[in-house]
Amino acid sequence: MDLKRDRDATSPGSSGRQPFKDVDALVQGFERLNYIADRALATAVFLAVQLRKPLLIEGHAGLGKTEVAKVLASLLETALIRLQCYEGLDVSSAVYEWNYQKQLLAIKIEEKSDLTVEEKQRHIFSKEFLLERPLLQSILAEAASPVLLIDEIDRADDAFEAFLLELLSDFQITVPEMCTIKARHIPYVILTSNRTRELSDALKRRCFYHWIDYPSLEKEIKIVSTRLPGMEADLRSDVVRFVHAVRQLDLGKPPGVAETLDSGQAVMSLGKHRLDEEIIEVTLGCLVKSMEDGQKIRDAGIGKLLGNTE
Amino acid sequence: MDQTPAEYLTQFVVELCRFTRSNGLSGGLHRSLAALRAVKAVGTRDRESLRFALRAALCSSKAEWDLFDELFKAFEEQSQHTSKPGSGKQKTTVEGSSQRETPSPYLIGHDAGDTKPESDGKTAAGASVCERLATVDFSQIPQNDLLRLEELSLRLLRQMSLRLSRRLESGHRPGPIDLRRTIRRNLAHGGEPIVLAFRNKKPQKNRLLIFLDVSGSMNAYSGFLLKFAYALQKHFRHVDTFLFSTSLLEISEALRPRRLSAALEKLSQLAAGWSAGTKIGASLRELNRLHSRKLQAGSTIFMILSDGWDTGAPEVLAAELKAIHRRVRRVIWLNPLLGLADYEPVTRGMSAALPYTDVFAPAHNLVSLLALEKHL
Repeated sequence: MDLKRDRDATSPGSSGRQPFKDVDALVQGFERLNYIADRALATAVFLAVQLRKPLLIEGHAGLGKTEVAKVLASLLETALIRLQCYEGLDVSSAVYEWNYQKQLLAIKIEEKSDLTVEEKQRHIFSKEFLLERPLLQSILAEAASPVLLIDEIDRADDAFEAFLLELLSDFQITVPEMCTIKARHIPYVILTSNRTRELSDALKRRCFYHWIDYPSLEKEIKIVSTRLPGMEADLRSDVVRFVHAVRQLDLGKPPGVAETLDSGQAVMSLGKHRLDEEIIEVTLGCLVKSMEDGQKIRDAGIGKLLGNTE
Repeated sequence: MDQTPAEYLTQFVVELCRFTRSNGLSGGLHRSLAALRAVKAVGTRDRESLRFALRAALCSSKAEWDLFDELFKAFEEQSQHTSKPGSGKQKTTVEGSSQRETPSPYLIGHDAGDTKPESDGKTAAGASVCERLATVDFSQIPQNDLLRLEELSLRLLRQMSLRLSRRLESGHRPGPIDLRRTIRRNLAHGGEPIVLAFRNKKPQKNRLLIFLDVSGSMNAYSGFLLKFAYALQKHFRHVDTFLFSTSLLEISEALRPRRLSAALEKLSQLAAGWSAGTKIGASLRELNRLHSRKLQAGSTIFMILSDGWDTGAPEVLAAELKAIHRRVRRVIWLNPLLGLADYEPVTRGMSAALPYTDVFAPAHNLVSLLALEKHL
């Protein structure tokens, strides 16, 4: 049972429906879902969707890399399949695994039956005993192309990266005991990386690339206003301006947008209307996550940083 | 010119690709094709969309991403200068890139360096020469022995890395049972698990981060230490190599080629502050800030190759090295001056750094480099 014959069904022509009219439509769609994307990011996503090529997103932590995939999935009204990479990730937890216990039981049960060895073998290596892991799930999607998010690919090792290459170019997975499975609907693939190591050229070559940088002041204010709609405008601009001043400092881990939102949420729930030195001091833990960075901010003078933002 | 807009655009994209490629962006035909398809997909309503689309298609790292914006601007300006963009030959370099700092002389050939000819340079060939060469201080090597020393060093370093990689292999001891293999293997026995298959842990390999001083005071040594870094990089699984003098430059990619000469060629293309002053503290801070993820807790060996002559503040050096020391498995400081008989690590930088150094060893000749094996 070679599923390769299904090739016709997977040719791009049959799924030629274009989900987005143009880049603007995508920007608006993202905004409807509370994700403020600039045109550069929207263009990259648009291209990845349109040309069915994976998109590699790099950037500092907390700037919404993973969020792109989530928003894209809900915008396309399709499933999001997520594979979180880690060191030591192997094929059996990323692609598929046999259900060994069930197989052993099946062997026992069939012991007395008069099936031939070949028949038994075919039975215990059938779909019934196959545990689908994220990558196989993305290939097997029945209804429509899912969004496949491969998160923090830089954490997986080279061997896994090489395997991924094969998957991303052919969108087929071979289960040696069973058959080769080819994707009915080619998934939209989004990879994110924190740059702990350089990815191989071969992988990078297959992807569109986008670098997410810290947002501009206006953009970040817009992001905060969409994510924390209850926040007063003055306070919002105070928080964002302060975070921007903090990013100018020479910190080990500059705060990302996620930290801005945390900090805004914290200040808001403390019932403040404007930002002052005292409130920053008590909520500093939302913004920076190490003792040294906190000290650096204090050394620079919270009041001064706050003053600079006026 | 009776070009249709589409043809014009194609030509624009193709020439831009050629232009960016000749100015340092990676990629080949596949990239150009991707760029063409990308431009077709977004359409060409405005310059920005065009730039974003091309950037997404042509870049594959942060460095390229930054470079692209510059190149795109340069290319546009250039196209405006030539009255008919796309026709005629265009010059293929930006002014900026020709201002590269001159590469260090020792990357170009063997005739470089401040090596002084020495009287006892000519002795009998053979094993004794090798033996002698291995112990001669790098800065004292006579001109005509350089080539031989290089061969020798490559050979010895290769041996060392081979031993290192073998040592990391582990035996096939019984461990957790590998159910998948066990079932496959025992199909012949009707599924009764008679022959067991085990899963062994993959040997944990250390990462190595090499931090090499190429400032003026290290001139006599940095060439050899660079080759040492190359040898290590070739056989360790994860090696990140950085050069520093007053600022930091990552050269891991440049050291990747299989032949040393190709690697050196590639290196000489990179602008670095060869033979400039030393700011160890500032360079370490840059490393901490920009590349801290490469210093993985527990599994990284941090190797710094420097003579410790620092023009920056020693407090900065101490603070930054302390931060690194806290994260990594081991800090190794190799100091070529330690080979001198009367050397004491009393320079301000060096004495500030010593408390945060696990291994402090000489690196002035081949023997001392090979002795490092036991620390890796």
